Amino acid sequence: MQRRDILKAGAAAATLGFPAIIRAQQKEVVILGLWDQTGAFADVGPLNDRGMRMALEERDMKILGRPVKYVTRDGATQAGTSTRRAEEAIDGEGARFMIGPWSSGVALAVSEVAKRKKVLHLFSGGTEDISGSRCHRYSFQWAASPYTAAKTVVDNFMKANPKAKRWHLLVADYAFGWSVEKYIKEVGKSHGIEFVGADRHPLGEREFSNYVQKAAANRPDAVAMINFGGDAVAGAREIFNFGLTPKVPLIMAWSSGVEELIQLSPEIRENLWVGTNFYYTADTPVAKKFVANYRAKFKTPPGYAPSAAYSMTRLLLAGFDKAKSVEVQDVIKALEGIEVNDLLGPMRVDGATHQTLRPYFFLRCKPKKAMKEELDLADLIATGDAPLPKEYASCKDIGGF
Amino acid sequence: MLYALMGLGLSLITGVLNIPNFAHGALFAVGAYFLVSLVNFAGNFWLGLLVAPLGVALLGLLIEYAGIRRLYAAGHDYQLLFTFGLALILNELIIVIWGPVGISQLPPAILRGGVDLGFTFYPKYRLFVMLMAGLLVLLTWLFLEKTKYGAIMRAGIENKEMVSLLGIDIHRLFTVAFALGAFLAGIAGALTAPIRGLSPGMGVDMLGIAFVVVALGGLGNLLGAIAAGLLIGVAQAVVAAYWTEASTAVIFAVMALVLLVRPQGMFGIR
Repeated sequence: MQRRDILKAGAAAATLGFPAIIRAQQKEVVILGLWDQTGAFADVGPLNDRGMRMALEERDMKILGRPVKYVTRDGATQAGTSTRRAEEAIDGEGARFMIGPWSSGVALAVSEVAKRKKVLHLFSGGTEDISGSRCHRYSFQWAASPYTAAKTVVDNFMKANPKAKRWHLLVADYAFGWSVEKYIKEVGKSHGIEFVGADRHPLGEREFSNYVQKAAANRPDAVAMINFGGDAVAGAREIFNFGLTPKVPLIMAWSSGVEELIQLSPEIRENLWVGTNFYYTADTPVAKKFVANYRAKFKTPPGYAPSAAYSMTRLLLAGFDKAKSVEVQDVIKALEGIEVNDLLGPMRVDGATHQTLRPYFFLRCKPKKAMKEELDLADLIATGDAPLPKEYASCKDIGGF
Repeated sequence: MLYALMGLGLSLITGVLNIPNFAHGALFAVGAYFLVSLVNFAGNFWLGLLVAPLGVALLGLLIEYAGIRRLYAAGHDYQLLFTFGLALILNELIIVIWGPVGISQLPPAILRGGVDLGFTFYPKYRLFVMLMAGLLVLLTWLFLEKTKYGAIMRAGIENKEMVSLLGIDIHRLFTVAFALGAFLAGIAGALTAPIRGLSPGMGVDMLGIAFVVVALGGLGNLLGAIAAGLLIGVAQAVVAAYWTEASTAVIFAVMALVLLVRPQGMFGIR
């Protein structure tokens, strides 16, 4: 073989191999899941992680031909830790897209990091501020607006219990609790509801006897809890122990659904009414497939936490697809106004506020004798998607990049 | 009363063995989980309430006999690390055996619902727990004050060397004290299960409160632990009636206040 032939062969090989090298060198897309593994929501973080991972694995950990590098950090359900670890992942790992955390109060701090670092941020929680007074171009809210939730819960509960006009509220004392409480009271006015008491408790409260004692003394027609996770479970248990339920209906206005309900005995769940961002019997093709896969993998059906992480990740991936780009600003523009038929059915992201407009679910738990199996927990009795009326909207200008 | 029960058990262990038992909260949790398993197995709450703490006492006996006993000569750091590590292991074992998701345990049918006491409305089961815990505290106190072995145990707290010199098997005394402390933690856990439900981390909160009770009462002071448990419980209930948000913070506020005035605790001498 001549020297020239060798050079030709080398050149041919290089030409053939070059695109492959280019492909291999295409930069990976780093997505951060900021999920609590410690602190008040330590039990929720692993569930969030499951949902997010499932959505990415459906795409073989690839987007637009590029590999996705999924990194997670434990925010410890604390603003300081969450912001520090988010910044570390952004600076150290090169994360440009971020989902989480789970606590509203913490997420507001993380949202500021997203704005400063120019990182796309998706979040699901009960504070209205992310798509309200503290809205900006980089953060998106997946959960229903607290108004949508309050309207769905109050309207449908009153439809079934028109005489229950005296309500006592138990409210988690942080951003999420305040937002939902405000709108429950607002919507309650139109039904002539009298709020005979409203006690706030700290996040992570487990001793509810004192709160329930006060609630019992008020002799309400209904007790509504605006809290979440372990707080909601502890509260519901104590309300039952005091003998309020099942005589007095109990409303969990913003529940994780399955994860909370399976921690309560069927006796405690009797006359329990539940508002939630997701319930596993949602009748959509995406939900059916997701629920089947999740059950096959983890035995139990998914509640709000894994479903939110799953759906937020799918929404982000839909943004990449629409943008045909992995640049943060392109994906943000693509997500603004995006319409998808996904986990919850029709979902749309309001470009002006970054609030996802989507249905909210209202359930009534089944009495023990009506349950067909252990996880036949509740009937889905209504969904609601009333958007936040303009007069309440506090995101006046989403701003620029 | 539950706080007094937990504090009493921890104070007994701290006093006699002179080690801070960081596994006390985990033993509390194990008591609750034993109860649920026994109720599910036998379908009888009362049987569960009787057997679960005995199981925890047996576990305590094993822990002392197989673990802590080997570390008496090694010094405080090793004992502290051992009980701390044990707490983590027990916590993980709970997750492995019973799962990470919380569980509810209903009170027995006869004790469900509340009673109107005239001035307030209160759950029957909580009243039962108050009575039971009070009775247990009284029985433990009688055992320690009125029986020969109780006197030996108190003497062990005061002066171990002297007790040993008098020909008493000090190692057996340590084992019995640890098992008794574990029994008290186990029964407190079992009694608490229908009130607070069960979750793997349930022992952590209670451990914090138990240490507050021990510090408040005075290290190793059994009467002090009872008094401090009652004080914390009453302070929490009173504050909660007027300012519910501060009902947890008051536990630590009371401790801080007492320790500012009496650094050795209410009844402590060291």
